Amino acid sequence: MSLLGGGIFKGMAVTLRNFVGSYFYKDRLTTNDYSWRPSDKLPQRAGEYPKEEGEQLRDTTTVTNYSRNFPMLLHDGSEPMDTIRCVACQICERECPPQCIYIEKSTEKKENAGGKPQFFPATFDIDVSVCMSCQICVEVCPFDAIVMNSQFELSTPDRFGGLLLRRDDLLKSNGYYHKIHPEEATARDKRIAEEKAAKEAKKKAAAEAAKKMAEEKAKAEAEANEGTPDMEENTE
Amino acid sequence: MSLDLIRDILIATVPLLVIFPTLFAFTTWLERKALARIQNRVGPNKVGVPLTRYGGRFSLFGLGQPLADGIKMLFKENIVPRDADRLFHLLAPILALIPAMLVLCFLPLEFPWTESLLPVQAFLLDGAVIFFFAITGLNTLAIFMAGWASHNKYSLLGGMRAIAQMISYEIPLVLSAVVVVMMVGSLNAAEIANAQADWNWFVFTPWGLAAFVIFFIASLAEINRSPFDLPEAESEIIAGYFTEYSGFKFALFFLGEYIAMFAISGLAVTLFLGGGAGPGVAALPWLSTVWFIAKIFALIAVMIWLRGTLPRLRVDQLMGFAWKFLLPLSILNIIVAGFAWHAQQQASGILKAIIWVACLLILYATAKGLDQLNRPNVRPREYKYAE
Repeated sequence: MSLLGGGIFKGMAVTLRNFVGSYFYKDRLTTNDYSWRPSDKLPQRAGEYPKEEGEQLRDTTTVTNYSRNFPMLLHDGSEPMDTIRCVACQICERECPPQCIYIEKSTEKKENAGGKPQFFPATFDIDVSVCMSCQICVEVCPFDAIVMNSQFELSTPDRFGGLLLRRDDLLKSNGYYHKIHPEEATARDKRIAEEKAAKEAKKKAAAEAAKKMAEEKAKAEAEANEGTPDMEENTE
Repeated sequence: MSLDLIRDILIATVPLLVIFPTLFAFTTWLERKALARIQNRVGPNKVGVPLTRYGGRFSLFGLGQPLADGIKMLFKENIVPRDADRLFHLLAPILALIPAMLVLCFLPLEFPWTESLLPVQAFLLDGAVIFFFAITGLNTLAIFMAGWASHNKYSLLGGMRAIAQMISYEIPLVLSAVVVVMMVGSLNAAEIANAQADWNWFVFTPWGLAAFVIFFIASLAEINRSPFDLPEAESEIIAGYFTEYSGFKFALFFLGEYIAMFAISGLAVTLFLGGGAGPGVAALPWLSTVWFIAKIFALIAVMIWLRGTLPRLRVDQLMGFAWKFLLPLSILNIIVAGFAWHAQQQASGILKAIIWVACLLILYATAKGLDQLNRPNVRPREYKYAE
């Protein structure tokens, strides 16, 4: 039994902590980094915030582990397009509530992160002016190819092109994912490994079963073959 | 009417018309600052001493901001939609402000210079609490007038939401005040405040605490404060009933909203928090005014804090909360308070404590039970295309 209205008090404690903390810890006041910024220091494209040498602007690694903004695509190795996890199945595109994802499937297959030839997204656009950060695309993705990024410096003077993130903008390495969401990424990698192991075990078991079945079948056939001559005799 | 009476009325009312708008300006600054700090921002901090070139240098924590906003509002263009009903479009903000201003007279707020003016003090009226609720009820009309006259679908939606919400929440609001009226046996605001002298505040009794919580929640809805700000929900219906208002008319709405906030907090202070009672009042009578306003600001601080914490309710949640939770609870509270009062007449000492604990348990168990009954049946989201 929880206290009636306890959730409200919990929430109020959080806001109180922020309220008091902002007076004691100057690094909490994130917006101070952006006040009175000269116009030549404004971003030209989403995610490209010009920083001066030695300037300590916040980047995605300094925000909390659980913050999320917009989705990104994962790749496993150093060469993004060779190790992309996405196979352009378009589930996320269909499931996206505000319909902000646009995918074009490639015509030919190419080897990807799994080591098998697969389709890949020839185009993968996310319009972040439409995206509502619901994370449904992450939940539905069967390939763990799309996860949430926490990059927030996305302001741009171009409200159409600048806010349309292309495939190459969205591709981020698994290492980056580990850096911004360590717990989540570790849990995800563990699950992928477990699923892979389970799949292989199942495959092995299936192969063994098939082998066994084939042996039994061969045995039965052999037995049947032994009996056939008599039958042939009988038919005669 | 003699000249003396007119003079007395002016002395009694003009301070209200000066003090509360000033406090309103200060409250807007306070609210912006507090909300900013809750969100780890700084809030207004650039506007300083107005109309001087050194204003920015001596910024005084941005205290010049309300004045700058006021001047800006005065000079902004007054835009009226072509198809709007011009007369009612003009009348609505005025009608929104008048009841809010009027009910300030019913608060037992004694200023040092009005001590000799007892005959014209409205709070000595025998039905002051009833008058308070009757006049604040007019606010609903003003809001719907604004929504209707604007000839805009969002305004109309906002006005309809406001009517549904304010009428629903008026019932628990009044029923929770009934408990205090029962206990005191009077509708006179001054008598209610006096009955709570010597720390006998009603909020320290079980039924009074329950009534205070219900009253506070219902008053949040009544003055359209977050989390019940559906009539002006920005993300859903632009600005609700004042979508089509600009310039000074908008400022009037804004002022009316904050004055209503002071008024309803003032009533909550009168009914539950002992009015102007507080340490040092016996020695220095004018301290009661200070205590009264300090208590109002304590309630307003909680309102701002809640605004920074809670998300907005959905329409069905809002109505369900009023009719399925607050209304049964406030009716039960009246019954509990009635029995407890009668039991207390005969009992004393240890028995009194037992009655209090029993009342508290009954009220909490009922609230908890109502909460359990009204739990929504939430299912996980179903996906259409993914397995």
